[in-house]
Amino acid sequence: MRSHRWFTPWLLVAPALLWLGAFSFWPAINTVRMSFTNAKPLGGTEQWVGLRNYTNLFSDPQVANALLNSVVYMAVCLPLLTLLPLGIAVLVEKKIPGITFFRTSFYLPVIASAVVVALLWNLVLDEGGVVNNIVQSLKWVQGPIPFLTDRWLVVFSSISLTVWKGLGYYMVIYIAALGNVSKDLHEAAAIDGAGAWRRFWSVTVPGVRGAMILVAIMICVSALRIFTEPYFLTGTTGGPGGFASSFVMIIQQYARGLLGNLGYASALSVVLFFICLIPMLILARQNRKES
Amino acid sequence: MRKLIPAAAAVAVAALALTACSGGGGTSEPAATGEIKGEITLQTWSLTPKFQPYLDKVIKGFEAKYPGTKVKLLDQPGDGYSDKIVSQASTDSLPDVVNIPPDYGVALAKSGALLDISSVQKDLDKTYVAGALDAFKYRGLDGVYGLPWYLNTDISYWNATQMTAAGLDPKKLPTTVDEQIAQAKIMHDASGGKNFLMSSKPAVGDFARAGVPILNEDGTKTAFSTDAAVQLLQKYVDAYKAGYYPSSVLNDDYLGNSQLFTKGQVAFSTGGGPAYKDFVRDNPSLAKSIVMGPALNDQPPLYVQGLAIAKKSKNQATALAFANWILNPENQLEFANLTNTFPSTTASASDPSLSKSDGTPAGDAKVLAFNSLQKAKVLSPIEFNDAMNKILNQQVSLAMKGDVPAKKALDDAASQIDKLLANQ
Repeated sequence: MRSHRWFTPWLLVAPALLWLGAFSFWPAINTVRMSFTNAKPLGGTEQWVGLRNYTNLFSDPQVANALLNSVVYMAVCLPLLTLLPLGIAVLVEKKIPGITFFRTSFYLPVIASAVVVALLWNLVLDEGGVVNNIVQSLKWVQGPIPFLTDRWLVVFSSISLTVWKGLGYYMVIYIAALGNVSKDLHEAAAIDGAGAWRRFWSVTVPGVRGAMILVAIMICVSALRIFTEPYFLTGTTGGPGGFASSFVMIIQQYARGLLGNLGYASALSVVLFFICLIPMLILARQNRKES
Repeated sequence: MRKLIPAAAAVAVAALALTACSGGGGTSEPAATGEIKGEITLQTWSLTPKFQPYLDKVIKGFEAKYPGTKVKLLDQPGDGYSDKIVSQASTDSLPDVVNIPPDYGVALAKSGALLDISSVQKDLDKTYVAGALDAFKYRGLDGVYGLPWYLNTDISYWNATQMTAAGLDPKKLPTTVDEQIAQAKIMHDASGGKNFLMSSKPAVGDFARAGVPILNEDGTKTAFSTDAAVQLLQKYVDAYKAGYYPSSVLNDDYLGNSQLFTKGQVAFSTGGGPAYKDFVRDNPSLAKSIVMGPALNDQPPLYVQGLAIAKKSKNQATALAFANWILNPENQLEFANLTNTFPSTTASASDPSLSKSDGTPAGDAKVLAFNSLQKAKVLSPIEFNDAMNKILNQQVSLAMKGDVPAKKALDDAASQIDKLLANQ
């Protein structure tokens, strides 16, 4: 058997290390550094400002609004996108004729461009759009429903878009996980008299618990970092007062352009990073406990 | 030794990344005077493919006049142009001659990326129309950091079909915001609230047009939260509350009113001389309906596009010669007639071809814009960047929606914008 030189493993991982270093670690470190400066996109007179960006951030009403929106986004998306795709996966897992059509249908929104979908929903939810035309013609409401100009209606319209678009993606993860749930357990439970509902909660859910934790973490992070849906549903403005802005929209607003405030935007990014860590740590801890 | 390797690798990675992110400083300043030869790049903003033949012709003319020169054309798409410029400037790869509006130039000039053209060319004030050249003189900096290329202004576009249907006379177009609101009421009442003559929220230019100072003298703090601004905003708030606006206007950005006009959802929009062709191209049914008038309140805005020279251009003399070539009166006039915009040199600004219509509506729009241009002014301060515009837009929307009083909306916008100005 031929032995390798001691540095061979390092050579093999070097490309990945270089890639991660240049495009992940260094930008992350640089973001933390810039958050303590008044950095501008074009450099120049960059100065150390200590904690000023962070103190400004905590007294910025836009940030408080965006944080609340993002947390509500996560709180609503988490149960919906953890459980609905599991239910759909259980349904489409069955091997019956024509089931591929349903699987494809649920997955289609995933491959559609988020920007295009958001613009289409914009047309649907506009005050002169399809939904308002229907509810008004049925005399369910007096005037148009301000889906795109009322703060919480914008947030919930964005959530509905995210849920619709995310169902297929998480469904695929659950389909893979369901393949590992023993059929014997289902049969044994059925023999013991457990109905479909009971088998779902007592056999299926514990069997895909690992996948659920993974899905939950992914949903938390992506919900806290939501951008495309509220950005395009509000015509890039964040709605009246900017109250429907997400955290990432605020970061983009400050960082963009030749006169952007990169220092402040970096401080916002660092805070968002730690906010994203919180649900991840809670879920990971929960997972460890149950294991 | 083995422990050293990961550490060395990490240092190498960091060093590589640092190298990639650092600028290539330390080069000596190139000369703006000298032999005109070598290769340069001209970067334009969203001009091809429509105007590619013109640009190719101008480039060929320059290369023929100065043998040994070569001009490479690089056109950037409309969206994300400022981000592209940031990326180029921060990596010292700004093209030799770059097409920018004045507000892009201020950050570039402050960071030392642009040549002060007045330091090498002394006759600028005589060559270019004053308002346009002044746009490239920045508060706190000596010199001129760009040369004006093509100019434009806004005129008003009205949908005569919708106006007539409401009993309004398209020959008696509103000339002030007050008249527009009065006619908007008539249209609203006649159409049962289905048609609208109001289509845009007040923006920074509207406050400036009403005589409201936007920033203080040295551009370090806002000054727009005044009684006059509150009164102006209140007019729009009342108009929105009365139903003279489509509700989607609350989420509209700068181009919102022209998009609503194109769709036939509102009967009024602002736009430059070339906008007529865009409206009719995107909605041919508008061809029979559009009538044009001057900008409201008799104070049109001045929009300037210019050419700047990269300070680190290796062929600065060639770059400057080419900028002067593309900006010479003949080339400018040809471009202006091609695009329905206006030239910036004093020698070509009053050419008769600009003030004569060819009899088409597009030609009429050009002449109307030309007449407006004579009194047009840059309304928005250079320091008022995208983020500030967005904040003002958001607060104005909030006031119009009725969620906060006009005064509070302006105070809140001023307070947020002051924080941004403090960091500039």
